[in-house]
Amino acid sequence: MNEHVQVPWMTESLCPTCLERISAERVIDGNDVWLIKVCPEHGQTRTILWRGTPDLTGWQRPKVPSQPPVCYTETLRGCPYDCGLCSNHGQHTCSALLEITQRCNLRCPICFADSGKEAETDPGLEVIDEWLNSVRHACGEKIVIQLSGGEPTVREDLPDIIRLARSHGFGFIQINTNGLRLAEDPAFVRQLAAAGLTSVFLQFDGTHDGIYRQLRGREMFADKVRAIEQCVESKLGVVLVPTLVPGINNQDIGAIIRFGMEHAPGVRGVHFQPVSYFGRYPGSPGNEQRLTLPDIIRAIDQQTDGLLQVENFAPPGCEHSHCSFHGNFLLLEDGSVRALSSKGSCCSKPAPASEGAAKSKEFLIRQWAAPDVEMQDQKTDKKTCCNPPKVPSLDDFLQRVKTHTFAVSAMAFQDVWNVDLERTRNCCIHVVARDGRLVPFCLFNLTSASGETLHRGNNHANHSA
Amino acid sequence: MKFSEEEVQNWKCEACGEDLVMREVVFSYMRGTFHVDLPACPKCDQVLITEELAMGKMAEVEKILEDK
Repeated sequence: MNEHVQVPWMTESLCPTCLERISAERVIDGNDVWLIKVCPEHGQTRTILWRGTPDLTGWQRPKVPSQPPVCYTETLRGCPYDCGLCSNHGQHTCSALLEITQRCNLRCPICFADSGKEAETDPGLEVIDEWLNSVRHACGEKIVIQLSGGEPTVREDLPDIIRLARSHGFGFIQINTNGLRLAEDPAFVRQLAAAGLTSVFLQFDGTHDGIYRQLRGREMFADKVRAIEQCVESKLGVVLVPTLVPGINNQDIGAIIRFGMEHAPGVRGVHFQPVSYFGRYPGSPGNEQRLTLPDIIRAIDQQTDGLLQVENFAPPGCEHSHCSFHGNFLLLEDGSVRALSSKGSCCSKPAPASEGAAKSKEFLIRQWAAPDVEMQDQKTDKKTCCNPPKVPSLDDFLQRVKTHTFAVSAMAFQDVWNVDLERTRNCCIHVVARDGRLVPFCLFNLTSASGETLHRGNNHANHSA
Repeated sequence: MKFSEEEVQNWKCEACGEDLVMREVVFSYMRGTFHVDLPACPKCDQVLITEELAMGKMAEVEKILEDK
């Protein structure tokens, strides 16, 4: 630590070696914020959390924690060992993620789920039925159900699983996919849509094959484009999801956004995920191998030549402020872009976390589904003038916002080096464990420096680290 | 939201006593700007926003533009 170090904010984290809970400090050093922690047995770790502007000190969205309505586990050892969720958790579930297979048709060098090796038997429909029961009992039906893996499209009975989720009353079903099957099998895409699929979270790491060769081990860009076309044809909302890795695709951020906008409104937005180091990755990361949220916000501004600007992005109302950013943009008929969101005041009053969760669920369900474009087209067809007025009518504005809002967001997942238990305690994205417990996404996937898991593969909470 | 000529003629401005006339009104809310034709007082420029409009489409705009 040097002379620039200012007042630290205390929190808790984990030792990367033994996974024991240890105290940690968020320390401001110049324009950066670091997480510094010391394990009595394994020594100090110093990991970059936030690099540059917008400053973390002004990046706040204070919330009053909201205990989940239903808790499946008791608080015994405390966070992160009792997840289920326990009564110490501070946020409701916004998205529930079901891993319906560990099989995958790729073998990427980087994979948070470490999929594709020694694949276990897929859970049967009766097991998935139990998981859905568990989710519905704990969270109600108005949440995002994300079917993930592994690669969910390797299951031939995926349409049955979607129908099963629908039969439980869930109205928004999304798959998390690399898109290969969707690109090559249009009939399968139609089956998924007919079964009730709403949205596709499409792995989309960049706009040229050099990126895919490095990140995924093969050329895939043409497949991604075909997958998007098939999904749009079947009226599935598409969200592009790039895993951002320094030196591989962080210079392609602007091109990805432009590609997404060119394929709007079928493509509903871009959701960036800076690489985090759990599951399968090449080696223990140095700080230069990390991208922080402000790195991405500034890159968006620079690489879109100011079309999207730093001040258009805001911290989240649902998850912890340090976990994500988002901005919404209206794509106008003349090709221009108008920001609909802004960072707002730094000093807003704390709001109940559950209110933020409710708004977020409503937004995602609206934004990530396919737009009702036919209605828009009909309206446009009726126009007789080729120079639409600069200020639209209320009806046209409302319709345009519904169909042509483009969402740009990012979520910084946490690994064992940068995990902050204040953040995981307020997480709203929960993976359904094999026994039906709900576990915050980062804690479910978290692995120690030597690959030991905390929750993945364990059937019971209160696991002794 | 449309008013017929007949409906507009039923309204007077309470402050000025003038008959309301239809006028294009530009609204700016958060980062959205749009126009609506509304009955307005030609003298003091006050406009009539019915409950139906306020609780209907304008509330819808507010909900959509409100930050998540």
